[in-house]
Amino acid sequence: MTRISTEVLVIGGGATGAGVLRDAAMRGFDAALVDRVDFGEGTTGRYHGLLHSGGRYAVKDPVSARECIAENGILRRIAGECIEDTGGLFVTTPADDPDYADRFVQGCRDTGVPVEEIAVAEALRREPRLNPRISRAFVVPDASMDAWKTIWACVRSAQEYGARVLPYHPVVRILRDGDRVAGAVCRDERTGEDVEIEARFTINATGAWAGRLADLAGAPGVTVVPGKGIMIASNHRLVNTVVNRCEMPGDGDIIVPIRTVSVIGTTDSPVDDPDDLPITAEEVREMLDAGDQLVPGFSSARQLRVWAGARPLFKDDKAPAADTRDISRGLALVDHAERDGLGGLITITGGKATTFRLMAEVAVDAMCKQLGVERRSRTAEEVLPGENPDGHYWLGSRLARRERTMHDDQLICECELVTRGRLEEAIARRGTQNLDDIRRVLRLGMGPCQGGFCIYRATGILHDERRLDGPAANAALRAFVQERWKGVQPILFGDQLRQARLDDWIFQGLLDIEHVADGEAGAEPEPVAAKEVA
Amino acid sequence: MSQDVVVVGGGLAGLTAALRLVQDGLRVVVVAKGVGATHLTGGTIDVLGYTPDRVDSPRSSVSELVASRPDHPYARLGVELLERSLDWFTEAAGTLGYSGSLDENLLLPSAVGAQRPTALAPASMAGGDLRKSPRLLLAGFRALKDFYPAYLADNLTRAGLEARSTVLATSPRPGEADVNGLIHAAALDADGGFRCRLAEELAARVEPGESVGLPAVLGLEKAPEVWRELQDRVGAPIFEIPTLPPSVPGMRVHRRFAAALRKGGARSIVGAVAVGAETRNGSIDAVVVQDAARKRSYRARAFVLATGGFASGGLELELGGKVRELVLGLPVAGTLDGSAFAAGALDPHPLSRAGLAVDDELHPVDADGKVVYDNVYAAGAMLAGAEPWREKSGDGISIASGIRAAEAIGERLL
Repeated sequence: MTRISTEVLVIGGGATGAGVLRDAAMRGFDAALVDRVDFGEGTTGRYHGLLHSGGRYAVKDPVSARECIAENGILRRIAGECIEDTGGLFVTTPADDPDYADRFVQGCRDTGVPVEEIAVAEALRREPRLNPRISRAFVVPDASMDAWKTIWACVRSAQEYGARVLPYHPVVRILRDGDRVAGAVCRDERTGEDVEIEARFTINATGAWAGRLADLAGAPGVTVVPGKGIMIASNHRLVNTVVNRCEMPGDGDIIVPIRTVSVIGTTDSPVDDPDDLPITAEEVREMLDAGDQLVPGFSSARQLRVWAGARPLFKDDKAPAADTRDISRGLALVDHAERDGLGGLITITGGKATTFRLMAEVAVDAMCKQLGVERRSRTAEEVLPGENPDGHYWLGSRLARRERTMHDDQLICECELVTRGRLEEAIARRGTQNLDDIRRVLRLGMGPCQGGFCIYRATGILHDERRLDGPAANAALRAFVQERWKGVQPILFGDQLRQARLDDWIFQGLLDIEHVADGEAGAEPEPVAAKEVA
Repeated sequence: MSQDVVVVGGGLAGLTAALRLVQDGLRVVVVAKGVGATHLTGGTIDVLGYTPDRVDSPRSSVSELVASRPDHPYARLGVELLERSLDWFTEAAGTLGYSGSLDENLLLPSAVGAQRPTALAPASMAGGDLRKSPRLLLAGFRALKDFYPAYLADNLTRAGLEARSTVLATSPRPGEADVNGLIHAAALDADGGFRCRLAEELAARVEPGESVGLPAVLGLEKAPEVWRELQDRVGAPIFEIPTLPPSVPGMRVHRRFAAALRKGGARSIVGAVAVGAETRNGSIDAVVVQDAARKRSYRARAFVLATGGFASGGLELELGGKVRELVLGLPVAGTLDGSAFAAGALDPHPLSRAGLAVDDELHPVDADGKVVYDNVYAAGAMLAGAEPWREKSGDGISIASGIRAAEAIGERLL
């Protein structure tokens, strides 16, 4: 068994965990981050991509609204490259309570969320696809945020401060030293070996899974209700501004333009298991119908993909679990020394992607307090590393880069403009055999054809770059085909089905991938490698 | 405008029906939304590849299949018609040199290195028949991103074959990193030195006794000539392996057929979407076609509907689960209340078999087996009961049903 020693072990590689890692590393702690799968595979990677202005919470949850607008300003400064400054609109549709708008404005004023009413004609000029029957429109500083990019920027920043990251390291058990948590044993999924990580302090940032992790640590009863939210991505920027229904938060009342798509979200239904989030035809239909309220015709637009995420809703006694939207979205910090007499462990959950940095700060503050050290958080001040840290993300940036390398590089994923150079670099950097890991870095296969063309190419390149044997490459190919299928299957009608059948045509009809010489990846000790001729 | 027959759809089934009708001396117009699914297929003629075990002899396996699946198109079409249709196709494809038979499937490598069963292959592909265990050199082009010879070779080696791989630097556009298959094909057609450079580079790498597998981009218009010349210059057998669309070998077939139709006096109108029909007393007088500017009616005595399945847009699944046939609103068989799709991408999906139910003459019929329009005939991927990609049966169904529809129309009109 490999042994690692660190001061701070962070469990959970979503935005919160990555933020905690960075915060701790910047305060001079030796820190390590583990996740059971890849970073950003959980709730952070499954949200609609909204950087809240706070407007959504202005009436219902003023605390959250204040947190959001403060963090919105900070993230625009430190993570500019991860954010597209789309701006946001709240609009009163015919289906909305017309009285809400005045309460909304008052709520924004009370919580410091900048809000400006504009004429309906002006709103329609800015967003011509908006429902022309809206009666009022308000501008707020919403934006869209690339969750994966944000996570990786935090990770890179933390690594610059000496932190280590271990994706695909599920926690097998929590180490205890008397009444203290002393780290964890994780399994390295790539080698199958156990790794013992000895840590002075452990921070549980596992979001919707936080109750389970706390159980494992011997601190039972931390109840985190997973709230399932489904989202559908449309294949176009149907709007270029975040548009919200000006109404008490409900289902399907936000459309977020992010990268090349528009995402409608979301629902909220309590579920038992954050790993089991089935999507029903009724939910899809309701979401599409809701989209029509904001953007008429939304339901007949070409849809790309549907997915569900599990919100971590920390349960207090005031709200019944039946309607999870009534539970505070505010962050939840559990100091297990106080709660359970268990030292060396803090749970940070609840919250939302927009407040991930604040959550991290609060968690590391609590850790410092327990450790009796005083070190101030600097995450709000230092800009995250990136290629263009001064500016916001611009939709045309990939095309601009592609135009510069048009004759020098191959376009592997035409939909998302991923070049061979970028792909090879990502494969090398991530050291992975998993194309889905690459997808979260490059958006490979996320466009209209959902991988129909790029999956074969990327597999061929992965095979050559990573020196995979045939079966390992086949496994990567099939796994990615299946991963893409999972997200289109519930929305297979109309042109989505047509595209899926074209992809079948390629994978089954042309390539016959279901019959390629089989065997588990790497199962044979001595795979025969074909000779390559120079 | 009046003609004897309007064929709606320009894929393999529509082209087959149209050409067969022209050969009978009928006046034919083909209206097609686009260029047809020939541009997606690998250029092989798959009759039956898996049931789900690999099929060695399509002849006996088709017979077994129709015994257990009376709703399968082959049950209507029959082996005798199938055989006649393949002979007809081979003849029509002319110098592309298709060979093979219903008696035994060839086993050709796919671009990932699966051993893909198929009944007929053009001369430029037949040399890849893996049943003969050729020693293989698989060669890609550096500038072509749609072919990965090392990956392919690994899988074939794993399957017990002897295979090496190489990547050729020769390019039709030196200095450009990304050159697609069609440009490679056009450069080989035009020659201008590319054939020679390619042959030289290849000749230096091939070892005696090896067969060379290249991506299927060896010329479009002059494919047979390009292939023969490369073999002669390299001094080794060469065969093509189909890869991602647009498919050069599929386009060759399309061009042959389109040219033969032109020569036979048929008109082809591409970019025309059939959107409805003028009907009278259980017959169709005209199909209504929308082109860029207007709707117009094409009158005829008989109509072939070959607009394809879900992939080509002949059928559409609506939100809510209803399947529609988009031109005539014909009843669709095999639709279901339960789940249309399996959880696994590569599992059999119940919806795959949805399509038009037909009688022996390929008239679409309703749920009671009653003919909907007595002068409409359906052919190709829109027929119910098959799972073309899983079974590797799509080309056989398209050609045989195209021939059957044409023959039935001939019987009616001549």
